[in-house]
Amino acid sequence: MSTKPKPGKDNFTRNLVIGVVVGVILIMLVPTLISKQTDTSAKIPASVSAERGYGVVFNGELTGVPVIDVYEDFQCPVCAQFEAAQGDYLESLIAEKKATVVFHTLSFIGTESVLAANAAACSADEDKFLALHKMLYQTQPKENSGAWTNESLVAAGNSVGITSDSYEKCVNTGQYAGWVNNVAAAAAQEDVNSTPTVFINGKELKRGNEYYDRALFKAAVERG
Amino acid sequence: MRQVQLWFGLLARLVLGGVLLLAGYLKFDELDKSQMAVRAYEMLPVPLANFIGIVLPFFEIGMGLLLILGAGIRYSAALSALLMVVFVIGISQAWARGLSIDCGCFGGGGQVAPGTANYLTPLLRDTGLLALGIYLFRYPQSKFALDKTPQSAALEKGI
Repeated sequence: MSTKPKPGKDNFTRNLVIGVVVGVILIMLVPTLISKQTDTSAKIPASVSAERGYGVVFNGELTGVPVIDVYEDFQCPVCAQFEAAQGDYLESLIAEKKATVVFHTLSFIGTESVLAANAAACSADEDKFLALHKMLYQTQPKENSGAWTNESLVAAGNSVGITSDSYEKCVNTGQYAGWVNNVAAAAAQEDVNSTPTVFINGKELKRGNEYYDRALFKAAVERG
Repeated sequence: MRQVQLWFGLLARLVLGGVLLLAGYLKFDELDKSQMAVRAYEMLPVPLANFIGIVLPFFEIGMGLLLILGAGIRYSAALSALLMVVFVIGISQAWARGLSIDCGCFGGGGQVAPGTANYLTPLLRDTGLLALGIYLFRYPQSKFALDKTPQSAALEKGI
């Protein structure tokens, strides 16, 4: 620290390091930014509506009934609680055509959420979305524990009666991975900051007991 | 005395840089969550918040690396201090407005159950880091830095 080194030469390593760090960060950042955009050319299941935030839609053709948007992540433990509390009720609304229900399967918890959401989309093509949906929540493993793989998700499909080769192929090839990304991008635009989040007729249901109490939830749906 | 200052400079670099690097690393493979965390502060328009949510972890990793390596200490310290000012403002306004959110500082983030939000810890941590950033901006000299001439170039001009 006594002599004054010549500037320029002494700072070569330092400038090189700054250049490399900034360069590498930018090279990684730009493709990431692009990949988070909605890809309109991604394959989507027949029951999915791009206009409804790429959600899986039930009873989309009905008018004059409540529209319930459910944002969830298959790995989210609180979503499993929500499903346990309200799943049957939602299914009955769907079966009796008393509401339009849209499921948005987010994947912010990690890669296993992506695999599960892809498998759910595959099951939608087999008309078994609700069955697999329920089954995945009932058997929900610890987050990112490695329990959900394409193999185990094919097996999960089999256990709810999906036996087709197309389902297996769809899961194994990650056919709807682009769609999973689109669901996430659409939810980000909708300002969904937690799972589960429910919108009834476009209005967010306040975080609280309504989510876990059947009577309160039913009342909220009927209020619209 | 001078030696103590050099060692303290190193410590400040490693703490500030280490925390930034860790924070960036924990966020950068769960960017959906990072976007969610930024949106939950309800400070920015949603598209901008989503953009920041992606950029922030990369920025933190970059600043952290530069501080740890000791390359361009004044600039990276100034930018890090600025970042801490933004964080302090963000957390304070969330607290003042009574939002129930997770700070999302080290991954995670988004809304939490009412009454469970903790704002004091991140606020104190970021204030401490801000102090380190300001110190390094003012006294960038430190041990084992790639900046060979921190005192010669900018400093000797009296900046």
